[in-house]
Amino acid sequence: MASRTASNKKLTTHLGVTPKVITIDPVTRIEGHLKIQVEIDHVGAQQQVVDAWSTGTLFRGFELLLNGRHPWDAIPITQRICGVCPVSHAMAASMALDAAAGVAVPDNGRLMRNIVLGANFIQSHLLHFYHLAAMDFVEGPNMAPWKPDWSTDKRLDAATNETLVEHYVQALEMRRKAHELGAVFGAKLPHPASYVPGGFTPDVTAARIAACQSYLSELIPFIDAVWLPDLMLLAGFYGDYFEIGRGVGNLLAFGVFDLDATGGDKLLRRGQVRNASAQVQPVDPDAITEHITHSWYADTVNKRPPANGVTSPQYPKDDAYSWMKAPRYVKYPYEVGPLARMWINGDYEGGISVLDRHLARAQEAAKIAQAMAGWLGQLEVGGEVYAPNTVPQSATAFGLTEAPRGALGHWISIDDKKIASYQVVTPTCWNASPRCMLGLRGPIEEALIGTPVTNAEEPIEVLRVVHSFDPCLACAVHVMRPGEGAAVEVLTGQPAWAASAR
Amino acid sequence: MQVSRRQFLRYCTGSAAALGLSGIQLKTLADVLARGDGPNVIWLVGSGCSGCSVSFMNLISEQSPHEIGEVLIDLINLAYHPTIMAAAGETAAEAAQVGGEYILAVEGGVPTAFGGAACWAWTVDGEEATFQQVVEEFAAGASHIMCVGECSAWGGIPAAPPNPTGVVGVSQLTGRTTINVAGCPPHPDWIAWVLVRLLLGQPITLDEYGRPSALFTKKVHSTCPMKYQPQAQQFGQEGHCFEDLGCRGKYTYADCPDRQFNGGVNWCARAGSPCIGCANPDFPGTEAFFKVDA
Repeated sequence: MASRTASNKKLTTHLGVTPKVITIDPVTRIEGHLKIQVEIDHVGAQQQVVDAWSTGTLFRGFELLLNGRHPWDAIPITQRICGVCPVSHAMAASMALDAAAGVAVPDNGRLMRNIVLGANFIQSHLLHFYHLAAMDFVEGPNMAPWKPDWSTDKRLDAATNETLVEHYVQALEMRRKAHELGAVFGAKLPHPASYVPGGFTPDVTAARIAACQSYLSELIPFIDAVWLPDLMLLAGFYGDYFEIGRGVGNLLAFGVFDLDATGGDKLLRRGQVRNASAQVQPVDPDAITEHITHSWYADTVNKRPPANGVTSPQYPKDDAYSWMKAPRYVKYPYEVGPLARMWINGDYEGGISVLDRHLARAQEAAKIAQAMAGWLGQLEVGGEVYAPNTVPQSATAFGLTEAPRGALGHWISIDDKKIASYQVVTPTCWNASPRCMLGLRGPIEEALIGTPVTNAEEPIEVLRVVHSFDPCLACAVHVMRPGEGAAVEVLTGQPAWAASAR
Repeated sequence: MQVSRRQFLRYCTGSAAALGLSGIQLKTLADVLARGDGPNVIWLVGSGCSGCSVSFMNLISEQSPHEIGEVLIDLINLAYHPTIMAAAGETAAEAAQVGGEYILAVEGGVPTAFGGAACWAWTVDGEEATFQQVVEEFAAGASHIMCVGECSAWGGIPAAPPNPTGVVGVSQLTGRTTINVAGCPPHPDWIAWVLVRLLLGQPITLDEYGRPSALFTKKVHSTCPMKYQPQAQQFGQEGHCFEDLGCRGKYTYADCPDRQFNGGVNWCARAGSPCIGCANPDFPGTEAFFKVDA
């Protein structure tokens, strides 16, 4: 096992003692497959994390199977990258195909796309706080799947704990209803069928609008009167988590929920911020590169921008420890997600930490729900929903949007009316990234540094930091390669780290 | 977990007629519930997207189980499910060792390329186990194996040509019969239907693809309300027939037009989009989904 960690060479301290490395595999209560390793040591009187490694442990190869297909197939297929955020992939693919075809989406189509995407944001954020993250703080019922659990550092009094358990159960119903809202126009959730290049497929009817409004009238009070107060309750017991898990301090958002036909005005704007600055800078897509120094890909293709990248898997490889590449903006790691979006939009007043992420996520859900009420009001009953368009002979285009977890981009290249290459850069690839060529840790890795660990057998504090990013690993490691003529060599045999696991 | 009298009565009064249970079957259900713990279910997640679990969480039904909370609390002992279980790391992996009978549910396919290393299940005592190893181990000892969704049943989208990670379905990997709940994602009712029958010890008749015949015999087309409507020439023509746009309803077997999704709110063709055949064993296939400027 020790051979997996990138800093293997530096593991012996000045006292000649091999430091303690804890492995959490699987990290549960996320989407997908993630392994986290942390090195802990005493800093002063406190045992805390002094180094960390984030490893994606599932690889599927989506763009290989997209190559050669009809371009419109990208929408239903890329949705299946993730069952928690399929709508974001449908949106990104639709936007890329809109651009490739040069088609303008009618307002009804744009509004319905936003409404279904918004419904899924709310569902995903609710699921994340109550059903994924909250169990790091709340003690669940005395039965599987809530037991066994780690009892370390559970601080809630009995009454507060019971309140949160009740709300966990209510939130099961609320997230189901958010999906029902989305299905009114989206056909079904997960994996909605209504997204097409040029617009959306269903009619806009008064009955459908009313159905969505009815669901919203239940969701909005739940967000405002249950979820946001629950976060305050939690912060009362765990206020130290406003000072834990800061990470890299750089925030990036591509922006989402177009408010007009140009896409220039969005509910949550595009921008980036260095070192927690209040000053928001524009985003230059050409400044994005993907590093593979510590990833299982050949070094010859390091530091490529997504549109020209190449992926050649390589095992074994010294110092590599993840299937994920390391996206970097200019040369720095950037955090993406609700905190980044709300900060960049000027909507978040707070810092960067575990609790700030949870708070920003809930506040964003409230903001989106309010906006959805407005979009429902703007829909034109019986109006145009789709602009006819054809597949271009050849084109290159991209779609930049946001998944609940952060900035998402799809890049497509069409040749002879078929997909010639397709690339996806996902939010969790940014957040759960390994180190880059400069040895800078990825956001989750950096956020773990300094995290106290009370009990090495039950490193609950590590889980709290990781979960605050809402990792979705199905998205993070599927990408494979953009770039012409890229060939993926499928390796056979055991990778070195499997053989040497101990 | 002791079943309370209140829970038991809820089953008796609400469920008997709805589930079509005879007196003898009802007594069996009561015995099962009175034992305390529901049957152990180990739910493994492999090369998939978690959409099947998300769909299952959307369960809402007039029949028991009415929603997902009831499944988790009253119906089964979900000993392992990485998406929602409280435990992590080795504590989680050890929880899967239930030491008794269990139903194995698998979501996501099994990658076999790289010696199985395209998907890892867990690390215990410093030793990593591939998903392939874990599925082989748990399939061998399971009383029943339920494949939830296309990927675990037949490979699904990750297995589409060229199948970069060598994904196979669980039956192909293990040689064991699996109950294949088709769909991408499956309707939550279909998943619940299988669990209830396993709980009652009722046999489930499977078709040649391992799908429960009771659920996957009717073509989508047969009950589609648009089947006699004029053909749509383009999208944005809800209420028309979408065969000319690529609809696969004539050769897809599922009850979507009747059951509909998300509490009966909608389904693909009702929302103006052709069926893409997501319940077929060969989904996604190699043909384009949409006949647009082909």
